Order: sequence, then C-alpha cells, then structure tokens
Amino acid sequence: MSFDPGLFMKAMSHQAPPYILEHLNLVLIPMGIAILIALPTGIVITRPGYRHLSPRIMAVFNAGQTIPPLAVIAIFFPFLGLGYGPAILALTIYALMPIARNTITGISTVPEDIKEAARGMGMTSWQVLRRVELPLSVPAIMSGIKTSAVLTVSTAVLAALVGGKGMGAIIFAGINFFQPELILAGTIYIGAMAVFIERFIVLMEWLLSPAHLKG
Amino acid sequence: MIELENITKKFPGADSFSVDRISFRVNEGNICVFLGPSGCGKTTILRMINRLEEPSSGNIFVNGKNVLEVDPSGLRQSMGYVIQQIGLLPHRTIEQNVGLVPELLGWEADKTRKRVRELLEVMGLKPDEVVRKYPHQLSGGQMQRVGVARAMAADPPIMLMDEPFGAVDPIVRIRLQDEFLSLQQKFQKTICFVTHDINEAIKMGDYLIILNQGRLIQMGSPIDVLTSPADEFVLSLIGEDRGVKILDLTRCETLMEPMRETPDDLMGSGCFVQSIQPVKLALEVMMKKDSDHVAVCREEKVIGLLSWKNIKKHINRVSGEDE
Ligand SMILES: Nc1ncnc2c1ncn2[C@@H]1O[C@H](COP(=O)(O)OP(=O)(O)OP(=O)(O)O)[C@@H](O)[C@H]1O
Ligand SMILES: [Mg+2]
Repeated sequence: MSFDPGLFMKAMSHQAPPYILEHLNLVLIPMGIAILIALPTGIVITRPGYRHLSPRIMAVFNAGQTIPPLAVIAIFFPFLGLGYGPAILALTIYALMPIARNTITGISTVPEDIKEAARGMGMTSWQVLRRVELPLSVPAIMSGIKTSAVLTVSTAVLAALVGGKGMGAIIFAGINFFQPELILAGTIYIGAMAVFIERFIVLMEWLLSPAHLKG
Repeated sequence: MIELENITKKFPGADSFSVDRISFRVNEGNICVFLGPSGCGKTTILRMINRLEEPSSGNIFVNGKNVLEVDPSGLRQSMGYVIQQIGLLPHRTIEQNVGLVPELLGWEADKTRKRVRELLEVMGLKPDEVVRKYPHQLSGGQMQRVGVARAMAADPPIMLMDEPFGAVDPIVRIRLQDEFLSLQQKFQKTICFVTHDINEAIKMGDYLIILNQGRLIQMGSPIDVLTSPADEFVLSLIGEDRGVKILDLTRCETLMEPMRETPDDLMGSGCFVQSIQPVKLALEVMMKKDSDHVAVCREEKVIGLLSWKNIKKHINRVSGEDE
C-alpha cells in the first residue's frame, strides 16, 4: 500500500472536515443525555432510602462497560433498525456508565463526619446535598464525564458502520478502498477532538471544583 | 431544659443496648458533664438529643417539647453542636464555617462577620490570620476551636459539646475552660458536655453523669461523686488522687474551726486564705510558710483557723479510711 501525500492533504482539507460536526453531534448528544440521566440517578441512589441498592446498580454499570458498543447496537437492531437513532442510543448507554459510577462513588465517599456536622448544624437533607455533597463530589463526577467523553469520541467511529455517519465514514471508506490517507486523516481529527474535549472538561472541572482544592 | 425519660437505644444489628434505660434532667443554665469509658454511649446520647439518632424507646423533651414532634433542622439550629470528629466543611473558609448557622438562619452578612471574629477571638485564634484559610490549613487543635466557635455562632441557648477540647494542648485547654466558664457565668446556657478527662469534668460540671456500657452509674455534683463514689468503677474512674481533688473543691470555711482571733503572727506573716478559696490553696500556703495552720478570712476579717489536722481528718473521712 502506498501513501500519497497529495491525497492525504486533500483528505485533511476537504474530505474529513464536513464530518467534524456530524461526529461532534454523535458525541455531544449522547453525552448530554447521559449526564441528564446518570447524574440524577447517581444522586437518588446515594440517598439513604436507596443506598442499599447502590452496590447492585454499580455492578450493572460495571458489567455494562464491558459490552462492546457494537454489541449494544446489535442488541437494539431488531427493535430500532440501523441508522442515526440507534447509534445515538448505543452511545448514550455506553456514556452513562462512567458518569453514574463516578457520581455514586463521589457522593458516597464524602466523609461521614462532614455530612454529620452539616446535618447537626441544622441543614436540611436538600441543603446537605446542594452545599456539601455535590460540591465535594465535583472532581469525581467531572472525571467520570471526562472518561465518558473521550470514550465516546472514539466509540462514535463505529456509528458509521450502522449508517450513523460521523468521522467513522471516512475511516471506513479508507479501509474499504485501501486508502491509508483517509484513515490517517480521520484518525487525526478523532484524536484532535478527543484532546479538545478533554481540555474543555478539565477547564470546567477547575471552574466547578471546591475552593479548597484550587490552591 | 433537657429531659430524658427512660431512654434506650439499640442500633440495628447490635446485640446489646448502646444506651440502656437512662433518665436525667439538665436544668436551664447548668453544665452537665458526661463521663465514661469509650463506647459507653456518650455520643449516642447527645445525638439523640438533637435527633441525629432516634431512641429505640423513651422520650426526650427539650424545653418541654418532645423532640420527635419538632422540625429537626429547626431543633438543631437552636442547639450548638460540637462534634467529636470536628467535621469542618473542607470547601469552606474558616469564616464561612463559623458563620454556617447564622447563614442558615438568614443573618445579615455584616452581623455574621462581626460575630465570627468575636468568637474566633474568644477561642484564642487570630481572626485576621485564619478567616480566609481552609480547614486543612489549620492544626488539629485549631480546627477543634473553630468547631467550638461554629457551635456557639448563633448564640444557641443549648449546647451539646462532644469532647470540645480533646485535641488542644493542656495549657490552651485550661485557658479555654476558664474562658468558657466565664462566658457561662454571663450567658447561663444549658450545656451537655462530654469529656474523658476527670479533672475537666470536675472543673466544668454542675452535675456529673457517669456512664458505663450504656447504663447510668452515678449522677451528682462533682463533690458528691468524689466524696461518695457509687462503686468500684466510679472509684477507678476518679483516680488515686481523690483526696487532692476533693480538697480542690472544698472551701476553707467548711473545714475551719470558727474563731474571732488567731495568733497574730499568722496574719502578719501572710499565712492566711479567703474563706471561699479551696482547701488545696490553704495547703500550699501552709507549705510555703512552713506552718501547720492558716487563718481563714472573709475580706479583711478573721473568721476561723484551718489546721492540717482537720484537713487530714476530712480526707480520711471522705475516702473511708481509718484515722
Ligand atoms: N451508628 C452506629 N451503628 C451501630 N453501632 C453504633 C453506632 N454508633 C455507636 N454505636 C455503638 O454504640 C456504642 C456507644 O457508642 P458511642 O459513640 O455513643 O460511645 P462514646 O461513649 O461516645 O465513646 P467515645 O468516648 O469513644 O467517643 C458503641 O458500642 C458503638 O459501637
Ligand atoms: Mg463519642
């Protein structure tokens, strides 16, 4: 297989860029939905009434993480068919796990004596959650979101296989037509997106982190 | 006023009672000290009073109201709570930590700020140095003092203090005790105070409640407990130097022989004490002046004579030994 720099430059400048937005959608939409589901779930599971459920739910999340995303798509295929929708669904399920897992870990590792003091001073359980548990869990939650986002950027490549578009389209085209230039260009954009998103989340993490950790 | 009626507490899964049929009352303006070995239920009792824990049976009344029938947050805001593990909020500055309850009560920022500084000062911390720090930047003893200041912030009529001075060094500890007692003289709060230190208990308590394995073993004023310990357990808790401790709590006037005149040389040579001073001090004066008796005065006037013989007789009597 030969490498044609001209073709590579063309892939970088013309063929790949249109897929960037598509790919970002495949990342941001599942991430948004996953955060909206996983955060409240994680919070509810750590409330005293449901806490006993959390080991089992964590086990489900951990197991879920070991299923390949393609398998998730395969499972839903009979109901949802191929295309953009099923791809989004599979990616959402995939993105859910690290966020939920870290939210639960983060909240449940807030030291008991701190929560006890907050309650003892007369905070309601809602105030304890808002002013103590959540702020102290920000680092854990954000690191879950980060893991999830980076994972989704690369997993979203598979969406192209089921007609879900994205940067995967150009990579698989490169594989099918024996054009390494396309594969390389697609991969570079994927990497760049991953780095960019990761940096963005690190910034958010810093902004939201509890004050004593900012030094 | 705090009243416990036949309170028991058994934690789920535990095979014995953590608190076993305990009743007592703490009157308004009194300091009640809880004393007992680790695990005897002191913390559990405090936590039931502010409803962080609910008793398995029995009733608790605070100012006549059953605590199970009032809103828990409101109840807790009306009681200062110094928790044993300190429990400062790590993401908040010292100023925000101390101002926590005022903030929950909606005080004006200015009023809170002034109050926070005042309390840090009382606790022997320099406000300018610490207000902007975070808890992890302080030493254990400093954090504990911030915890005490936090409990006092909204000026609650009731305080629950779980080993409030356990982590501070002995010198600062004595200063804080004195400071606290003089505040107490002024503000007359109703206080439940847990300690492991018998000397602290004697010094701070209007009442002592001695606990062992969840049961109330003895209740009474420090001098009652020292002079007539209920059993071997209480005796061992008080320690070997019971006699000396008693002399610290006994006023000279109780042991003196009333007398209008004493040999002149006693007054002239400075060998005298005030009637309300502790007998221990009289002993010190005797040793310094190399005398076996001292004059006891009320203001300037001699009212009696305290002799070594009387002191010894008293010690022997209260410690139940033969003369
Ligand atoms: N949440 C809990 N669950 C189960 N058992 C508990 C719980 N809290 C306390 N206990 C038990 O109740 C008993 C009394 O505990 P408590 O904390 O009141 O002791 P304490 O007198 O405060 O001891 P220390 O001086 O060490 O602080 C102990 O045997 C303890 O193991
Ligand atoms: Mg305790």
